[in-house]
Amino acid sequence: MNEIGRPARWLYGMLIALVLLFVYLPMMTLVMASFSRSKFFKFPIPQFATNWYADVFASLSIRSFFWTSLVIALLVATIATVLAFFGALAFARYRWAGRKLYQKVLLLPILFPQAVLGLALLLWFSAIGVTPSWQAAVFAHLVWIAPITTLVIAIQVYSFDPAMEEAAVDLGATRWQTLKEVTLPILTPGIVSGFLSAFLLSWANFPLSMFSTGADQTIPEWISAKIQSGYTPQVPAVGTLTMLAAVIVMALGGFAAWLHARRRAGLA
Amino acid sequence: MAQATGIVTITAATTARAAPEPSGWRAWLRQAGVLTALPMALLMLAGFVAPLLLVVAFAFMPPQSFSILQPPTLANFQEIFANSFYRSFLASLYLAAATTLICMVVCYPVAYAMVRVFGRVAGVLALLITAPLFVADNLRLVGWMLFLVKGGVLSGALQAWFGIATDSMLYTVSATLFGLVYTYLPFMLFPMIMGIAMVPLEMREAAFDLGATRWQVLKEVDIPLAMPGILIGALMTFILAAGALSEPRILGGSSVVMIAQDIQNEFTFAQNWPKGSALSVLMILVAGVLAVTLLRRIDLDGIFGRR
Amino acid sequence: MVTTEAEARAAQPILQLRAIEKVFDQFAAVDRITLDIQEGEFFTIVGPSGSGKTTMVRMLVGMDKPTRGDILLRGQRINDVPANKRPTCMVFQSLALFPHRTVGQNIEFPLKIRGVDPAARKKRALELLAQLRLPDHYYGKAVTQCSGGERQRVALARALAFDPEILFFDEPLSALDYKLRKVLEKELKDIHRQTGKTFVYITHSLEEAMVMSDRIGVMNRGRFVQVGTPNEIYGSPTTRFVSEFMGEVNILDVTVGPDGTATDDVTGARYLVPPSAGAGPCSLVIRPESLRFVDGPSQAHNVVTGTVYNEYLLGSRVQYQIRVGEKQVLLLENLRDQRYEGDLDSPVTVGWDTGDSMIFPKGPLQ
Repeated sequence: MNEIGRPARWLYGMLIALVLLFVYLPMMTLVMASFSRSKFFKFPIPQFATNWYADVFASLSIRSFFWTSLVIALLVATIATVLAFFGALAFARYRWAGRKLYQKVLLLPILFPQAVLGLALLLWFSAIGVTPSWQAAVFAHLVWIAPITTLVIAIQVYSFDPAMEEAAVDLGATRWQTLKEVTLPILTPGIVSGFLSAFLLSWANFPLSMFSTGADQTIPEWISAKIQSGYTPQVPAVGTLTMLAAVIVMALGGFAAWLHARRRAGLA
Repeated sequence: MAQATGIVTITAATTARAAPEPSGWRAWLRQAGVLTALPMALLMLAGFVAPLLLVVAFAFMPPQSFSILQPPTLANFQEIFANSFYRSFLASLYLAAATTLICMVVCYPVAYAMVRVFGRVAGVLALLITAPLFVADNLRLVGWMLFLVKGGVLSGALQAWFGIATDSMLYTVSATLFGLVYTYLPFMLFPMIMGIAMVPLEMREAAFDLGATRWQVLKEVDIPLAMPGILIGALMTFILAAGALSEPRILGGSSVVMIAQDIQNEFTFAQNWPKGSALSVLMILVAGVLAVTLLRRIDLDGIFGRR
Repeated sequence: MVTTEAEARAAQPILQLRAIEKVFDQFAAVDRITLDIQEGEFFTIVGPSGSGKTTMVRMLVGMDKPTRGDILLRGQRINDVPANKRPTCMVFQSLALFPHRTVGQNIEFPLKIRGVDPAARKKRALELLAQLRLPDHYYGKAVTQCSGGERQRVALARALAFDPEILFFDEPLSALDYKLRKVLEKELKDIHRQTGKTFVYITHSLEEAMVMSDRIGVMNRGRFVQVGTPNEIYGSPTTRFVSEFMGEVNILDVTVGPDGTATDDVTGARYLVPPSAGAGPCSLVIRPESLRFVDGPSQAHNVVTGTVYNEYLLGSRVQYQIRVGEKQVLLLENLRDQRYEGDLDSPVTVGWDTGDSMIFPKGPLQ
């Protein structure tokens, strides 16, 4: 029954291909639209050009939104990874009274509509006297992203045999040495993928940024504002550039994973 | 050397044992699990629990007030139901249910194929499905807008290559639903993949060996054992879709108003925090009841840890 | 006794394998095996991991198809009949009990699949619980709440529920502790007798196979090295591989000369050996229990002198490590009441009779 027939295999392959096409179609459309010369999008595209990229690179405001997005994403990724590293140990490694509740509470922000969470945070910020700004956005992002990072690292923690930590302690290591010499190196792949996914999720976030950045603006917010005020081909151009940035970050992650696997295999 | 280390360990252990045992909550607080959970727990308290409690408190304040120190009232809820503001809420629930159903039907065979048929490249496929989550959802919806708009990729291609004239496919309820299915598909697919991967191959083989047909294996073994994953996927899709903001705006035009849009209006333009809060409470109730009911029945260690 | 019964029915084997072969990426996991299994027989396939035994049973059950060759059930070719249409059933290594079903529902599963009505199903399930000595109230118990031995019985009851013609077992006892395994081995043999069904059992333990089987097939590298009754396998193994498989043995590298005596390649000593097929490089195999302490050359056909290096108590038996010269180590096993009285490291003479040793030419098929 495990030997799936050729026609069935083909059918399943088609299905997956269709879903992938469905998932990537809008992104391909964006890339294409960014190279269209005319101000109004029309298909088939009459004339290709890169003038909108020139516009984007020349725009000082877009450049500053880019920096805001980058700074927020880097800070969110760093803080989320540190919190999530410990959070994942509590989630998957240690047995303690309250763990089941903690696991479930951690899932709630992921299982909650981001727009509603963003609005609740907006209310909360004004109630406690915090002016919305990019710093507030870092906090807002963390509420949603740190639990996800925790899950990513927790999956790695589950496959980690606690006996290794016990062995290190038995061999004379202190708690801190055990963490540094055994736990951290073994969990590195999970930590790196946790960091990267936190960065990328923050980079792409719109609903939380929208209600927390105040006068500061991120790239997804700029895109939303442009859509409201009228389409310009700068939108697909900026979109293509942010997608490119995400691809580069993922490729770097893939390269790191490849290097790590090689080192584990003793090839490097 | 080895001996010396051994002595050190023993001494350390003895000292630890000699220290007076702390009792009650102090002992609990000293556990490694509690200590490591603390930072995340504080973040959840300050960033999730407290804001939602504040929202709940505001929902019972008189309309237009900006403080929670007034006498509580049900005025906001009365207004929501009297002036049919609940319509956006019902529309959200309806669209979320439809999204969940469509995603479920589409994702099961896809997840099955990814785990059981193309298991060798499952990692690559999973990455390909995740990658779009790293692109802002409103940007991807703009992509769909350009694809579906009159003169866009679809209607332009039909016109230019086949001579078929079509109208705009945007700004309808169906376009909103389409956008919701698109955005939340990965949220259904992922847990489903995890759920299906949790079904041991031997269980299916045993059922088959005991005489079950493929359909019976699906009904008796596959679906019940993958249920935790399916339920988590359904829950996530439903709640996230119910609180969607960008889809009805970018693809739906103003054909349908969903609850998140109403909440946003009250909080920003209308500056009526209590009413926005009351609408949010409806959302929190739905999400909370569903999440709590479901999470009670599910062992998260089993799903994430494959134990 | 059971063997003679099986022989009487040899005219019509229940299961016949005709040169079956399973090839994975040019590697033959099962390599042209031909075998007849008789009705009512308890046949055990023994082999180390990777010998092809699991691949083989998966084909017999219908989970995989042979690359070449035929499988016949009562003379009918069943290669293309899928597992769910075969009147055979397997007990899995992991047991594969359905965790979302109770004990009763697990047992009734094959009956439910076949559309048997609930009352008849329950009756049969209770019957099987009784037969496997599980209390009635286990019917509603969650399988996840059962102990290892109980789960084993539930799995067996589920396999028996639809009255299959042949039961296959894929190392179902391997995860259990020693004591429980011993109990269940005997229980399984009793069930075999009670039901009179054909059992085909897979294990990596020849010891386990010995306890239960009517016939044993020892597998290595996709082929049967030897097929025979437990007695034949133990008493007259045909290859060094089989002789080693039973447990610890002494293996000496020797060269058999034209006069029929063997010269030890390590010590140069000469031994009398049983007549063998050829001369040249051979392995001389002596079981530890065939070695004994002797006072001089007159007390055994072959003697060696060495020193006692260590003593190991094995319950009712005791084992000694004898060092001969620099490079050779022999194991000697005695009953506990025949313990060696001398000191460690003191010189001893040990010996064995020619009839207790086995000689196998060295070749590729060892």
